[in-house]
Amino acid sequence: MQTECCWTKEVITPDQCRNISTNEMDLLSSLERRFLAKCIECPLFVGDQERLTKEGNPTAPLLRILIAEINRKNSKLNTLVGFLDSRNLEIQFLHEIVSVLQTSLELDEVLSVALTAITSGKGFGMNRAFLLLTDKDRTILQGYMGVGPRNYQEAWEIWAEVNRDDLSLREMARHFHETKFSEEKTKFHDILEHLTFPMSDEGHILIRSLNERRAILISDAFHHPDVEAHLAHTLGVDTFLILPLISRNRRIGVILADNFITHKPITQQDLHSMETLTFPVAFAIERASLYERLNEDLHKLTVANAKLHEQQELIVRMEKMALLGKITSSIAHSIRNPLTVIGGFARSLLKNIAENDPKKEPLENIVQKSKQLEDVLSEVLGYADSVFPAMDEWDVNQLLENIYQEVQKKTEGAGISVTLDLASQLPMTYLDYRQISYCIKRIIANSIKAMTPPGEIHLGTKVEDDEIVIEIRDTVQPPEREAHEAFLNSGRSELDEACDMELSFCRVILENYSKSFTVERCAGKGRRYLLHFSLKKEDSDHE
Amino acid sequence: MSRILVVDDESSIRLLYSHELADEGHEVTTAATAAEAAEKLQKDDFDLILLDIKLKNESGLDLLQKIVKERHNLPVVLCTAFSCYKDDFSAWLADGYVVKSSDLQELKDEIKRVLEKKAARNTPKLMG
Repeated sequence: MQTECCWTKEVITPDQCRNISTNEMDLLSSLERRFLAKCIECPLFVGDQERLTKEGNPTAPLLRILIAEINRKNSKLNTLVGFLDSRNLEIQFLHEIVSVLQTSLELDEVLSVALTAITSGKGFGMNRAFLLLTDKDRTILQGYMGVGPRNYQEAWEIWAEVNRDDLSLREMARHFHETKFSEEKTKFHDILEHLTFPMSDEGHILIRSLNERRAILISDAFHHPDVEAHLAHTLGVDTFLILPLISRNRRIGVILADNFITHKPITQQDLHSMETLTFPVAFAIERASLYERLNEDLHKLTVANAKLHEQQELIVRMEKMALLGKITSSIAHSIRNPLTVIGGFARSLLKNIAENDPKKEPLENIVQKSKQLEDVLSEVLGYADSVFPAMDEWDVNQLLENIYQEVQKKTEGAGISVTLDLASQLPMTYLDYRQISYCIKRIIANSIKAMTPPGEIHLGTKVEDDEIVIEIRDTVQPPEREAHEAFLNSGRSELDEACDMELSFCRVILENYSKSFTVERCAGKGRRYLLHFSLKKEDSDHE
Repeated sequence: MSRILVVDDESSIRLLYSHELADEGHEVTTAATAAEAAEKLQKDDFDLILLDIKLKNESGLDLLQKIVKERHNLPVVLCTAFSCYKDDFSAWLADGYVVKSSDLQELKDEIKRVLEKKAARNTPKLMG
C-alpha cells in the first residue's frame, strides 16, 4: 500500500514531513522517534490507518490497539509530569520559605513570612489566614493576627498590587512586614477577640488538631458536628483549614486558612501541601519567641548590672561620705571649743568696756566673726551628723513607738491598720538610731505603697536567744520571690527604680548595723521582716 | 545665789564659764574630769551641774547616769559641742541641753530655767 504519511520510511527528507521543524532535524533519520513524536498525531497517518482498515489489512486492528495504548500512556505521562512539576514548584517554594524563615529571628518577621506564604498567589493562594498562639503557660489558645482582604474591593486592590509589583515571596514578606504588619494586626481585631479557647477544652476542634498533631480540612462548617457554631460564625466560611503548629512537642499555636472571598474549594492536596509548611513555621515562631525572651532577659540583666554598678558606686560614696563626716565632725568639735572661748571672752570684755575705748571695735569684730564661724560650724556639723553613723545605746521599744505614731498619722483614713506589740522590760540596745529608724520607715513606706486597702502593718519587739528582735509584718501578697528580690537581688521590674534603690540601701544599712536581717514570705499572709540585735554591746561593736 | 559645778576638760572653757556665771551671781566650782567632779560632789553641795559630754577619755553621759542615780534631785545641764546627742535617750536624763556657743545667753537662760524649776519643785504647795 502506498502511504501518505512517512511512517513506513526509515529515513526521510525535510519536504516529506511538514510537522518537523528546523530544530527537529534529527527526527528525519530515526523512524522510531519520529513515529512516536510526530506520526502518531499526524492526520496523514490517521488517513493511512483508515485505508488499511478498509483494505482489510490484518495489522490494522493491532495498529489501532497499539496507538490507543501509546496515547493512554502518553496522557498518563503528561499527568505525572504535571504533578512532578507542581511538586517541584512546591519544594522550591518551601525551600524559599525555609531559607527566609531560617534567617528571621524577629517574631513579627517570621509571622509575616508564614502568613504571606499562605495567602500569596505565589504561595498557597489562600484568601485569608489567622494565626492563634498559645500563651506562655500553654493554658490558652488566642487569636494573634489575621491576614487577607476583608471584602471584594480590598481583595481586588491587593491582587492588582501583587500583579503590578511582581515580587518574590521574600520581597513580599519584607514589604508586608515593613508597611502593613501593624495595620493588619488590628484589622481583624473583631474576629481575633472571639478566637480565644482554653487548652483544657480537649473536645474543641482546634485543641484536638493540636493535641492530635493533625491538620484538618473542615467542610460544611455550619453543620459540622465537631465545629462549634461560634467558630463557624466568627470565620463566616463553611470550608477552612486547621493547621497545628508544633515544635519539639511544644504546642505553639494554630493557623486557620480559608477562601473567604473566592470560595474556591480547598482540597486534601492543599491540606497536605500546607501541612508541610507548618513544621518550619512552628519552629521559627518558637525560635523567634525564645530569641525575643532572651533579648528581654538580656535587657533586664543589662539594666540590673548597670543598677548594681550604680549601687556599688553609691555605697562606696556613702562610705567615703561617712568617713568624711566623721573627720568633719571631729575637726568641727576641735574648733567649736576654742571658738566658744574666744568669742565668749570677747563678749565678756565688751560688757565692761567704755563707749570710747579704742579696744571696743576690735572686740566687737571678734564677737561678730566668731558668731559667723559658729554658724558655719553648725552647718558643717549638721551635715556631718546626717552622714556618719552614731552608735549608742537606745531603747528599741521607744524607737518603734516613735515610728508607730508617725506611721499611724500617715495612714489615718487610708484603710490600713497599724498595730504595735512591744516586749516588756527590754534592755537598752547598741544601735544607730537614725539609720535604723530610717530603714524601718522605708520598709513600712514600701509596704504601704504596695498595699491595696484594707491592709495591716504590725510592728513588734521580742527577746529571743540573747537577741532583741524587731518584727515588721505586712499584708502585701508578693508575687513569687518578690519579697526576697526586693532586698537580696537587684534588677527587679515590679518596683520602681527609686524605691528599689532605697530598699537596697536599707538592706546594706540593716545588714551592717544589726546582727542579722531577714525577709520571709508568710504563705497567704504577706511579708515578715526580722531585724536581730545583740543584747551584748561587745557583739554589737563588731557589727 | 546658786552653787554651780562646771565639769569640762577644757581649762579655757572652765575659766570662761566661771567668769560669766560668777558675773550672773553664781558661785562656781570647776572640775576637769569625772573623778574630780565626783570628789567635789562628795565634799560640797551644789544646786546645779554644768556637764560636758566629751570629757578626755570618758563620757559625760556615764557621769550623768551616776549623778541621776545617786542624787536624783540635783539638776544637770549638758553643755556640748555636739548637737546630735540631743536625740540620745541617755541625754534625756539631763534637765537641760545646750550646744556650746560664744554667746552664753542661751546657757544662762537654760541655767535660770532649770534652777527655777528646781526651786518650784522644792517649795511646798500651799493648801488652798
